[in-house]
Amino acid sequence: MAYMSMGEAHRRITDYLNHFSDAVYDQDAASLKLILSLSSNSPSQLSLADALNIFQDANRLIKQSDKHSQFGEIVVPLFRSLQNYRLGNLVDAYNAYEKAANAFIQEFRNWDSAWALEALYVIAYEIRVLAERADRELASGGKSPEKLKGAGSFLMKVFGVLAGKGPKRVGALYVTCQLFKIYFKLGTVHLCRSVIRSIETVRDFEEFPKRDKVTYMYYTGRLDVFNENFSAADHKLSYALTHCNPQSEANIRMILKYLIPVKLSIGILPQDCLLQKYNLVEYRNVVLALRRGDLRLLRTALEEHEDRFLRSGVYLVLEKLELQVYQRLLKKIYIIQKQRDPSRAHQMKLEVIVRALKWLKIDMDLDEVECIVAILIYKNLVKGYFAHKSKVVVLSKQDPFPKLNGKPVSS
Amino acid sequence: MNTETLIAPTGTTSKEGQTFVDHNHGQSSYVPPSIGSEAPPWTMHRVDNNSTQNAFPQNSTYSYQQNAQPPTAEGMNGTPATASSSSLASTNVPQGYSGYATYQNSTTDSYGYGTTGYTSYYSGYQQQTSHSYSQPVAAYPNTGHPYQPISSFQNTGSYAAPANYSSTYYNPGDYQTSAGYPTTNYSTQSTTQWNEGNYANYSSYQYSGYPPTSTGTYTPVSATAAPVHYQPQNTQYYGKNHTEVTCAPGTENLSVATTTKLDCPIPGVPGVTGGYSTTISQPQQPQQPQQPQQPSAAPWRPEAASLQMPPQQPSTVASAAHDGYWNYGTSGFQNQQSAVGQPEAYQPFDSRSAYASFQDPQNNSGPPGTNLQYPTVHQVPQSNPFPNTHQTSPSLDSRRVGKFQIQTNPRIVSNLGVGLAKTDKAGSGTSAATKPAYISVSLPNSNDKVLSNDASDSALKSGAFPKSLRGYVERALARCKDDAQLNACQAVMKEMITSATADGTLYTRDWDTEPLFPLPSVDGDSKGVQFPAPGSTFKRSPTRRIKSRWEPLPEEKPQAKLAPVKYGGWVQANQRERKPFIFNSERKEDRANSMKFSSVDQNAPKFQRPFKRQRLVDKPTAVENGDASSDSDKEQARYSGAISMANTPEERKRRESRSKRFEKGQGNRAEFNHHYKPKGAGAANLYVRRASAMVISKNLDNGGSEAVEDIDWDALTVKGTCQEIEKRYLRLTSAPDPATVRPEEVLEKALAIVQSSQKNYLYKCDQLKSIRQDLTVQRIRNQLTVKVYETHARLALEFGDLPEYNQCQSQLKTLYAEGIEGCRMEFSAYGLLCMILHSNNNRDLLSLMSRLPSEATEDEAVKHALAVRAAVTSGNYTMFFKLHKKAPNLNSCLMNLYVEKMRYKAVSCMSKSYRPTVPVSYIAQVLGFASALFANDENEGRETDGLEECMDWLKAHGACLVTDNNGEMQLDAKVMLEPHIVY
Repeated sequence: MAYMSMGEAHRRITDYLNHFSDAVYDQDAASLKLILSLSSNSPSQLSLADALNIFQDANRLIKQSDKHSQFGEIVVPLFRSLQNYRLGNLVDAYNAYEKAANAFIQEFRNWDSAWALEALYVIAYEIRVLAERADRELASGGKSPEKLKGAGSFLMKVFGVLAGKGPKRVGALYVTCQLFKIYFKLGTVHLCRSVIRSIETVRDFEEFPKRDKVTYMYYTGRLDVFNENFSAADHKLSYALTHCNPQSEANIRMILKYLIPVKLSIGILPQDCLLQKYNLVEYRNVVLALRRGDLRLLRTALEEHEDRFLRSGVYLVLEKLELQVYQRLLKKIYIIQKQRDPSRAHQMKLEVIVRALKWLKIDMDLDEVECIVAILIYKNLVKGYFAHKSKVVVLSKQDPFPKLNGKPVSS
Repeated sequence: MNTETLIAPTGTTSKEGQTFVDHNHGQSSYVPPSIGSEAPPWTMHRVDNNSTQNAFPQNSTYSYQQNAQPPTAEGMNGTPATASSSSLASTNVPQGYSGYATYQNSTTDSYGYGTTGYTSYYSGYQQQTSHSYSQPVAAYPNTGHPYQPISSFQNTGSYAAPANYSSTYYNPGDYQTSAGYPTTNYSTQSTTQWNEGNYANYSSYQYSGYPPTSTGTYTPVSATAAPVHYQPQNTQYYGKNHTEVTCAPGTENLSVATTTKLDCPIPGVPGVTGGYSTTISQPQQPQQPQQPQQPSAAPWRPEAASLQMPPQQPSTVASAAHDGYWNYGTSGFQNQQSAVGQPEAYQPFDSRSAYASFQDPQNNSGPPGTNLQYPTVHQVPQSNPFPNTHQTSPSLDSRRVGKFQIQTNPRIVSNLGVGLAKTDKAGSGTSAATKPAYISVSLPNSNDKVLSNDASDSALKSGAFPKSLRGYVERALARCKDDAQLNACQAVMKEMITSATADGTLYTRDWDTEPLFPLPSVDGDSKGVQFPAPGSTFKRSPTRRIKSRWEPLPEEKPQAKLAPVKYGGWVQANQRERKPFIFNSERKEDRANSMKFSSVDQNAPKFQRPFKRQRLVDKPTAVENGDASSDSDKEQARYSGAISMANTPEERKRRESRSKRFEKGQGNRAEFNHHYKPKGAGAANLYVRRASAMVISKNLDNGGSEAVEDIDWDALTVKGTCQEIEKRYLRLTSAPDPATVRPEEVLEKALAIVQSSQKNYLYKCDQLKSIRQDLTVQRIRNQLTVKVYETHARLALEFGDLPEYNQCQSQLKTLYAEGIEGCRMEFSAYGLLCMILHSNNNRDLLSLMSRLPSEATEDEAVKHALAVRAAVTSGNYTMFFKLHKKAPNLNSCLMNLYVEKMRYKAVSCMSKSYRPTVPVSYIAQVLGFASALFANDENEGRETDGLEECMDWLKAHGACLVTDNNGEMQLDAKVMLEPHIVY
């Protein structure tokens, strides 16, 4: 391909231009999509890029005919982007692509129908992916990576085009999801809020395409995890889980990564086979600790995967499971006491708890344990009261260890 | 602005009509009024300028800026001149038309430039003219008034007057801009280019101190209108101005150019225009149409007007555009211009005043500016304007009004953008074109502008010229063997067309069969015409002319040749005194001439050029786009480079922002310099200061986009000399004075004293802040800096001064990131605690935790902070207060701020989980009330203190306390605390 003749290059470029204008005239989003997709690395794109590198005067071709020059604003930078992309200049490729995308948005704004949504999706995607790669290039060159940020503001503009009422609104959620991806990557999740607001003020969520709904629910669910808003997070992530493509295990795993801690913190434990199936083994010991009331196991599990949990942002959520582990521990002690002496089982001496913890190799003094018990009672994980004088936990005779039953630990 | 512009259209038409009438009737009638009005307005201006200057305490800096402005004006003048020359060239060369046609296509296709952009420019121009005419009074009270006079002058001068007016109008804007509006400057620049009148204004500005000068310049304009009147006025003002007027040269040149054109066709008119340096460019255009009309039939008028006009306007426009580009390229439009202007302005001044050192830099910067402008102008004029004008002229009329209104504002702001954007596109599209492409870019602009101008002009004259007329013009021009002839022919044809338009035969006459007029003898015509009027003018303008930058012309070879002839003739005839002009004559030869010219001027041009070149070369963009660079012509290369630089929108934005920065920075820096060594030795200091200011201004001007990065901050960094150890903190409102800044060794002592001081926090804080300030001012960033910030942060923590602490913490963060040693762990622990206890942002906390270096988790302080975090998130109050008790460093200080909250939470927890009561002593112990700490100690008194404190606290929060059988105080757990009040 590298030795393409001039004529061949010319032919390819003309073909491409014809394709482009035909697609627009026929409102053929499917072919337009292919044409705009830069990172698809499709053979036709690659050969076009080669052709452009050989036939330098493509812009003249565009100008020559009205049919093409009409889209010159889109195609000229697009060609430049293609060329740069082919040459590995990702920053330049991104810059040019954004220019082309801007021009495309201008056109898109003028089209009454939403036929080109598919093509717009491709652009939104390409913008993001190119920006990420351009940033990598920038970072490796020691420059500050700012393209993804730029892509964010560009997509915000696109969102503005789509978000209004009308046939194009269906596309808004896709762009929203791309924005989420950018914001989460950049760590500027607070920017999500405005987008979410404009999506949720209109009660037409179910009209969006399913895949966008799933993605949207996934990201907003994650936001709720950060905010420890567990009921909402559970709802959103469960929605994403039930609606996502059951074949795409990677997606399911991503959802479960957040859904499991959320479920754990509302007292619902996953089966081990689920963790195995989706390779979420980092949660296994956490779950086990919850089952056993093994505080030490929880702590070691957290320590072991601290990096991972910190990065995914569930560390604090998991850490809060400690109280549930204490509850489980107390419950176990209660059960043992009941077996020995059912009549006095509801009175639990603080010393016993301290001893149990010591057995777990956790050294805590009476004051600390007393505090923990107080908190357990305060948070309604234990029913009963604490008698300071006698240092005894007096448990309620009825359901002393209430289950969370899908409700988060009260704060 | 809008209102003004809006008004403008009507005003223009009426005024145009008036001007026409005037022209026909006789300039004299107009002249008197204009002159009369002029004087007052000018004075007004002066006052304004002066006041502005006064407003700025730092006279030196301010004056510099002002100077800078004038330079712009000069640049503008230069551009107009070029424009005129270019236009002439175009007219002269018949071929040019065909060339234009082609250009049109190319421009339109490849560039797809919004004609609107150009039109807007044009309309802006037109508006200006019209505005200046009618509006001046209403719209711009301040500027308008001063300018009005100018406009009036122009009017009197000739038909061209309207154009002049516009320029004048702009000038006010520039004036204002100079005060500090970058955008305005931009617009102004373009305008300035158009009107020499602006130039005059600027000069006056510059010389605010020298009102006479400004008037002098001004008067010349009026003089153009009425030579006789002019002289007296000039003489009056001139006496003072004479030597000084740098601007004058520019104006003169412009006027010359105009004159040349005008002269040929109509001696009388040209003379007027010639005299009127300001009006030059615009007047030429109007004149041209008129002139042609006269000789030929009426039908011609429109065409001639459109044709001729376009070239002129285009050239001007192009120049304006170029200037704009240039400015961008350099740094900020304004900056550049100002820079350029400064040099020029300075040159005269400096040389005299004794800023010799300054002069050089200034000069350097100045000339380049002009050169650049010139080249651009040249390119523009070329061919595009014609086709565009022809095509658009008909439609333009209808548009005019609308455009006019819109244009003024857009011009300033958006035009640039449009122009740039277009250029960018062009660059990308036509990159192959290399120089031409660039030129073409500029051309489109000029075309548009031309169109608008034409439209305005032709509006009066009606529609486009007949094709046959165009053919006739081409034929006529084809005969010309040299530039001089071309000019002459143009002038003749202008007359013909004007007369044809006047007698209504423009469209009826059969131009195809019309016999060609005999070739005029160039020398005689031009000189003859010019001489009469110029005589008086020249004297005045000489100084100004010197400043004017004709150099740019060389770029357009054909045009340049033409222009040079005119100029040369003019110069020689008019003023031999001015060498620059002579150079102009030399220009014919080519760019080399321009070089000579510049050199003659004051070496400045040479200097400037190198500067700019370097910049351009440096810029990768320039190289990219700089297809032109391939060209042998360095100037062109430079140009293209500049243009290419201006191409990218991003670039443009960046430059804009930069230029803004500069504007701010300029003043600041100037101030800085000013204050910098104010206390130093008197004269020497002054000198140095100025020199440094010059350096800065140069940087600003030349640096263009790179200026900020290029500035040698090290050179500007203060080196303190103060030996006093103690110093009160005073927030700087001006540049630091080295005499009051302590050097590093003294600061070290100061820090030690603060650390060992027994005085209170406020004193220490004050001292530390002043130490920090001195460090910052001297850009000292080392371990001492870290130590100072750490000390301050600790003190702030101890005192509970979180805002101050946060300042220090954020500084420390960057200092640590730079790899400077310090108590990093201690402060990352503080950071963690701060985040945990005071910001309550899970995400930030998580990212902070995940970013902790691995060795941090081994550190006691960090471990402690993490434990605190765990205690807080789980609500483990016992743990919290235990940690509080054994907190390392100042962790406890940060925790103190959270104690209250924790206690409240604890007690509410207790009141829910304990039954029936909780002993207060236990609470006091667990919740870390002071007494509890010493509960088991020998000090019994303290225990009771703690108990009492705890009881007080509990009571204050609404707890119910009871005494049990043993006399021990108990908390009744059934009674809930009152809702927590966050203090």
